[in-house]
This record gives sequence, C-alpha cells and structure tokens, in this order.
Amino acid sequence: MRLRFVALLIGAFVFLFPFYYMLIGSLQAEPDPSVSGSIPTGNVTLHNYSEINKAINLGKSLINSGIFTGGVILGTLIFGVLAGYALARLQFRGRAVVFNLMLLIQVVPFQLLTIPLYVMIVRSYGLADSYLGMILPFAINSTAVFVFRQYFLQLPAELFDAARIDGASELSILWRVAVPLVKPALLTGVLLTFIGPWNEFLWPFLITKQQTLQPLAVSLSNYLTTVSARAANPFGAVLAGACVLAAPAVALFVIFQRRFISSNISSGVKG
Amino acid sequence: MRRGPVTRILGEHPVGTAFVTPYVVFVAAVFAYPLGFAVYMSFHDYFFAAPGAIVDRPWVGFANYVTVLTDPAVQRSFLNVLIFLVINVPLTVILSLGLSTALNSAIRWRTFFRVSYYVPYVTASVAVVGVWLFLFSSNGLVNSILGPLAPDPSWLVNSKLAMPTVAFYVTWKQLGFFILLYLAALQNVGADLYEAASMDGAGRWQSFLNVTVPGVRPATTLVVLLATVTGANLFTEPYLLTGGGGPDGASASPVLIMYQKGIEQGNPDVGSAIGVLLVIGVLILALLERRFVGRED
Amino acid sequence: MKLQAGLLALVLAGSLAACGDSGGGSGDADAAAKATGPITIWYSNNAEEVAWGKQMVAAWNAAHADQKVTAQEIPTGKSSEEVIGAAITAGNAPCLIFNTSPASVSQFQKQGGLVALDSFSDGKSYIEDRSGDVAQQYKSSDGKYYQLPWKSNPVEIFYNKKAFAKAGIDTTNPPLKTYDEFLATSRKLVAAKAAKVAIYPAPSNEFYQSWFDFYPLYAAESGGKQLVEDGKSTFASDEGKRVATFWRTMYADKLASQEKYTGDAFVDGTAAMAVVGPWAIASYKGKVDWGVVPVPTSSGKPANEIHTFSDAKNVAMYSSCKNRGTAWDVLKFATSQEQDGKFLETTGQMPLRKDVATVFADYFTKNPDYKTFADQAARTVEVPNVPNSITIWQTFRDAYSKSVIFGQQDPGEALDGAAQKIDQLVKQS
Repeated sequence: MRLRFVALLIGAFVFLFPFYYMLIGSLQAEPDPSVSGSIPTGNVTLHNYSEINKAINLGKSLINSGIFTGGVILGTLIFGVLAGYALARLQFRGRAVVFNLMLLIQVVPFQLLTIPLYVMIVRSYGLADSYLGMILPFAINSTAVFVFRQYFLQLPAELFDAARIDGASELSILWRVAVPLVKPALLTGVLLTFIGPWNEFLWPFLITKQQTLQPLAVSLSNYLTTVSARAANPFGAVLAGACVLAAPAVALFVIFQRRFISSNISSGVKG
Repeated sequence: MRRGPVTRILGEHPVGTAFVTPYVVFVAAVFAYPLGFAVYMSFHDYFFAAPGAIVDRPWVGFANYVTVLTDPAVQRSFLNVLIFLVINVPLTVILSLGLSTALNSAIRWRTFFRVSYYVPYVTASVAVVGVWLFLFSSNGLVNSILGPLAPDPSWLVNSKLAMPTVAFYVTWKQLGFFILLYLAALQNVGADLYEAASMDGAGRWQSFLNVTVPGVRPATTLVVLLATVTGANLFTEPYLLTGGGGPDGASASPVLIMYQKGIEQGNPDVGSAIGVLLVIGVLILALLERRFVGRED
Repeated sequence: MKLQAGLLALVLAGSLAACGDSGGGSGDADAAAKATGPITIWYSNNAEEVAWGKQMVAAWNAAHADQKVTAQEIPTGKSSEEVIGAAITAGNAPCLIFNTSPASVSQFQKQGGLVALDSFSDGKSYIEDRSGDVAQQYKSSDGKYYQLPWKSNPVEIFYNKKAFAKAGIDTTNPPLKTYDEFLATSRKLVAAKAAKVAIYPAPSNEFYQSWFDFYPLYAAESGGKQLVEDGKSTFASDEGKRVATFWRTMYADKLASQEKYTGDAFVDGTAAMAVVGPWAIASYKGKVDWGVVPVPTSSGKPANEIHTFSDAKNVAMYSSCKNRGTAWDVLKFATSQEQDGKFLETTGQMPLRKDVATVFADYFTKNPDYKTFADQAARTVEVPNVPNSITIWQTFRDAYSKSVIFGQQDPGEALDGAAQKIDQLVKQS
C-alpha cells in the first residue's frame, strides 16, 4: 500500500510539474527561465493576468467558449446517447452501416475537410460569424458516440430482455434502465466532448471575424502570435491566459470525478 | 416473437432507426459533402477558386496519388507515424490501465491524484509546449540531470530522437483521457468477481490479470483504437514542438504535410490524396486491431 | 464488407454533390470598377497598425458618409493566408486587405481572387508614381499590378549594446561588416557569455523563415538579386553558396541555435543580435539598449550599396468586391502622402514611397533611430512574384534546413538540388 502511494506520488509530480511551472510562470513579474525560478520567492505578481485581460476581454472570450462548448455537449448528450444506445442494443436495418460511418468520421482528419466545410457552411448555409456556424461541425462528437456504445455494450443483456418482456418502450428502457447504469460513461462523454471545442482554435478562427464572438482559445492564440511581445513579460502573459483557459476544465473535472461511483450492476439482474 | 412486415424490413427494433436518424442527418449534412469533395479533388488537378472564376480542372486519375507515394518527405512522414504509434499505443494502454486501477482503489488523496493525471490533457498544447521545450532543450532540466548521458544533438533536434520525444509528449498529455475511459469501465467490473478471485487464493497481481484485464476488454479496444486514430492524425504537437517537420523531416506527420501542400501551397488535390491515403491506412490498422486485440462483448 | 459499402456510398454521394457545385457569376466587372458604396476592409492586428487604421477609417468615413468603410482585424502570421484563401473560395473576402503578403499574391491571383489595379484608369500610374522603381518588383507575370506596394520593414542587424560592452566590443561601430568580422564578433560574444548565442534566427521549417536568415544576406551579397529571376533560380551561384556557408559556420560553431525558441530571444537576452525590421523597435523599447547595422557581406560592401529583404506587406483588392470604385478611392486615400506620413509616425514602418527619407524629413530629424531604415528602404529586394511561390520557398527551406541548419548535407549540393526543383516549379502555372 505504501509503495503504491509513493509510486503514484512520483507519477503525479511528473504529470503536474509542467502545469505547476506554467502557473508559476504566469505569476512571475520578470521571466526567469532558470531552475531556481521554479520556486516562487518574491517575483510574484498578478500583473500578467491584468495584462492579458487588457489585450483580450477574458470574460467575453470565456462566455463565447462556454456557448460553443455547451452547444456541442448538448448536441452530443441528446443525439449521441440515442445513437450510441441504438448501435449497442437495438437491431435495425442499417446498423452496421451507421457503425462504420461513425468509425470513418473519427478517422478522417479535420484538416482534410476544412476548406470545403468552410465554403459549405458559409455559402450554402450562410452561417458565417455565428455561434451555430461554430458549433455545427462539432455538434455530435463521434468519439463520444463510440464511447457510449462501448459502455452500453458492457451492460448485461438480461437487463434489457427483462425490461422488454415487461413491455416497456425502448425510449423508457433507455431512460430508466440504461442511462442510470452508465452515468460514469456519460460523464466521461461530457468530459471528453468538452475538451475538443474548448481548446479548438482553427475552426472558430476561420468562421468568426468579429472579435466579440471569438472564444478564448482563439483570442489567446492571436495574442500569442502578435501582441504578446509588447507586454512586460510576454511569456508570463501567455501562460496567464493559458491558466485561465485550463481552469474551468480542471474545475469541471474535480467536481465530476467524485461521481465515478461504482454501481452494483449485478444487483439489477437478480431474480 | 412475431415478425410482422415492419420488423422484417427494418429489423427487430425499428425504433433504432429513429434513434440514429438525427446523428445520420448530422453526418450527412456536415461530413458527407466535404469528404466526398476531398476524394473528388484527389482525382483531379484541383485548386480552390473564387466563385465565378473559370478554371480548368482536368481529371488526372491516380496522378496525385503517384506524386504523393513517390515523395520521400511523405514517405518519411508515414514512417514517423508508425514510429509514433509503436511507442505511444502500448505505452498508453499499459500506463492508463495501471494508473486507473490504482486510482480506482481507496487511497488517500484520491482526488488530488486523479486531477493531477488529468490536468495535462486539459491544458492547451500551445501553452504547455513552451514548458516542455524548456525542459528538453540542450541545456534544459532533463539534460542537466542526465549529465554525460544527454544525447547530442539534443532531443528535439536529433533526427533519431525527435519523433520518440514527440511520442512521449503526446502520451503524457493524452493519458488523462484514457485514464478516464478506464475509470468508467472499471466501475462495471463487479466487486463480486474480485471477491470470488480472492477466495480462490489469487493475489493482487493475479486478480488484476484475471479479473480486471478481461473485464475491461471493450475499453481496451476503445483505447487502442482511439490512440491509433489520434496518433495517425497528429498535427499540432509535431508542429509546435519541432516547428513544422523537425530535423530533416524527422518529425513531420502526414497531416502536417497535407496542411502545407493543401492549404499553404494551394494544392488541395495533392493534400487530399495524402488525406485519403491516411484514412485508408488507419482503417486497415483499425481492422487489424479489432481482429487481434478486441472483441466487443 | 459493410465497411466498403459504407465508404462507397459516401464517395458516390460526395461526388454527385460536388459535380453540381459552384455556380453563381460575380457580376459585371466593368460596372463594379465604377461602382461606389460601402465597403469592408481588413487590416492586421499589430497594435500600431490598428491605431493607424482606425484613424484612417474614421477620417474617410467623416468625409464620405455614403461610402462607409467597415474595418476588421485579422491576425498576422501564416494563418492569415489560410483565412484569406478560405474567404476567396467562399466569396466573402473584403474589398481591401491591408496585410497581403507578396508571396501569396500569385496564388490568390490564380484563384481568381484579385482585381488587377491596372483596370482603373490611373491604377498603374498611381502605383509607379508613388513607389518609383521599386514598384517593378511587384508586377505579376502578366505585367499587371495585382497588389499595391504599401509598406516595408527593411531587415537589418540589431545588436544589444550591453551584451557587446560585456564582451568588450565597440558599441558605436561594432565590427560586423564582413563575414569574417561577424564570425569573430559572434565568437567573442559567446565566449564572454554575454549571451547564450550570438544571433537566433528561427530554425523552424516554415516556408517564410528563410526571409530572415538566408534571403537578406543573399540580397546584399548578390547586389539585389531575387531568389528567382527571369524564370530561373539564381541562388545556386557562388554568392548564394557563400551565404549558405556563412550560416553553416554559425550553426556548426554553435553561434546560432538549432532549437526552437519560445518568445523573443533578443528581448530575453538569449541572443545578442537579431535579424529584423523597424517594426520590432516598439517591442524593444525599455527592454534592450539596441544599435543597428546593415547585414554583412563577404567583402564588406559600404552601407549605401547594401540591399536587404523588404519584408513588405501590401494591399490588394479582392474580386468579391462590389464597390470597386470606392475601394480604389479609399486605397488612394490610405496611401496618400498625408496618410503615409501618419503611418510612419504611428508605426515606424517604412511606407513604400519613393524618397521616403526626404519626403518625411521632419520625422527623421525627430527620430534619428529610424533614418537608417529609410535609407535602406530604397534598396530592398522582394520575394519573386512567380507561380507556386510558396511551394518554391518551402522547397528552398527544406534544403536549407537539412544542409545549413542541421548539417546533414553539403550546403552547395543542397542549393543545387533545390535550384533544379525550383526551376521546374516556376515553369508550371
């Protein structure tokens, strides 16, 4: 037990160190790239945060990121769960085709599709400079569908047979039987769907020219490539922005990870 | 069970079609056209033009594919991806399964540990890369610790070590995601199975091998597949860490070259050819993995 | 297999969809040339350029309420090419973009995305009157002007006076004229630990990085030659090879670094020198006590004979523009002597105007730091305006990176190989 704890601690240190360094760097008044600089002794200031807030409106950018990401999570949770469940537990014509389609989508790199997608969304759908235009290509995360399917598959068949014999409709089976049992999977789905749009830079950048619509990842990237050189501590200002970008994601995880409680599935199959 | 005409045509659970329809509509609306268009472009001498501009776009058959397959830079990039996958995928599976098992048990500071392994996944590469570059530069922390063992030229500018270094970086960064997947899967491995095993006298390691590993098989399939797909489509990390290709193209990825040729240089036909080849390659890999690594149920 | 069926279905669907795409004409070009009305423009998001841009737009809008200009910022850097390319394809590019890179012009032109400024009755004459001889470098291969030469940032060598003093080198007239002097000075700097490296041009592989290491020195060494002239590459000559060998020595002796650097090495004190133009002065204020000299040549040419890379950004008019008459008027307004003067004062970058040093003599008396750039601006070399320009630069950069930066091939051989490939690329169109 002791050994495992120590091993985990070392591992955690390795994992956390760059992030810790990022945090320290964002608090430095003068950039100090030496090793000793990683221990904060004096040289600590919140100036970098105000610096980057001056250049980019952190609040508005965060709200834009939230709308973009929220829209994607909503679409994935509603339609992705339906699709994942159907692929896992329902027999219907075309099931294999849809499954292979979903695999194919994940395999295709986004850069291959970028320009035609842009032309289509801007010209045919007329969605330039809009939240919907940002959300649309990401609306249902295929990886999440895959994950939902995998976890629905892990549930024992007897559960569903029993419910069907009782005459329940598929929708209520999904809602009452399956979903409560795969809560960890749903949370996983949310968390993994969250990161993509939250950190996505290229697509919102292409779609929006108005700065008031741009999510934080885009504003930060712009700042990095152009304006940052003017700040008193450019690297520090960038790290400050990055910390702001990472904070909600970490917070979300801290809150949700407690919900990964083991539910005793076997108890549902008794009788 | 009765099988009326509806179920005969639409399958046992016709409502399944209704469930997947929104997803399929989404895919058709957002992916089908661009993907088909990309394939179309790869068979023509194509470039994007302003609406209304009259340009000549002749069919060229497989010419773009030939160009791509005989380009040494492209060949190198596919090799780089293989190097990456060979390092990244097994390492990811082993580390994430091991760590998630450890994180699932009741240990002190569990929340702290879970968060610390998750954090790199969540931070944008753009910010973290600076730290990593600092650590692995020729007089960075890693080399000062290694002393005389430090490689020369240093990690990211060494054509043999560049891609492995990128692979380690990505493994480190993505691990949190895969730990999540395994954590969720571990919830479904019944406690009674462990009890039975320990009653049979199995030690911790044995119950891990005989209960945990088979119990999370579907998750393992998922992890292997996703790690492969993400690895094959690598773009941001090689670009940020080695500035677009590294020493002599030693850390270029196919998507990077696709981006350079397709978007920067205005040759989307060649870019699409690379993309299509990449997709086919990954599909083949995925099929092989399904055969050897996993079954779903 | 089901998988294949699915794939096939997709391909068919996509092909059918693709066949029926892009209709829609762009309207009568002549009518558009005379049309007036509101227009949109884009400029870069460099803080000083934005400041200038805003006042220019406000000044125009105050005088022309029926031809309002709406302005937006786009980020600089290579992603701006992608944004512009995507906008051209989608048909929603603005009328004017005050951040058009000369290297991209041939590509945008091929896409049908640019308006030939010659189509305006005073187009050609305005450009040539304003910029003088330098304008010739900006003509496209069909002899027309698809861009208006707007401003340049002649690249010179900045040096950190404090670091030089620490190494015991003269800070008013440092020995940086010939390659030998430059190498010796660099060695002194590194040996005295005045900086980690003498100079830190970006070693990464983007196609445009050669504009800040090889190209300025090649321009100087060759007396003003472009990379490609008259359809043939020029750089595999003795002059080009001398430049390449010089840089190879810098890398081999660890006077420059092969590793990517995050941030600005000159500002951080990691490098004692930088190859950059006057736009950077604003970011050095208060952080580095700098001096500036022209780029070195092998034989030490006098300063008034040295050429360098222009690092120009120009303005182009895009074909999706409906009110081209207004756009052309705005363009002339934005590049008038008055606005050029305001631009110079606000940003310190050199308008590509004939005789900048004399026309704005007042400014240079008040800001003597910038005078050297004004003089240099008369002797700048631009990237060649040829088809496949970006592919050409990428090919060059790959060869340069492999041989000069990473030393895995002889630079002379690498340049020869690149020259052959580039000659092929120029012939295509």
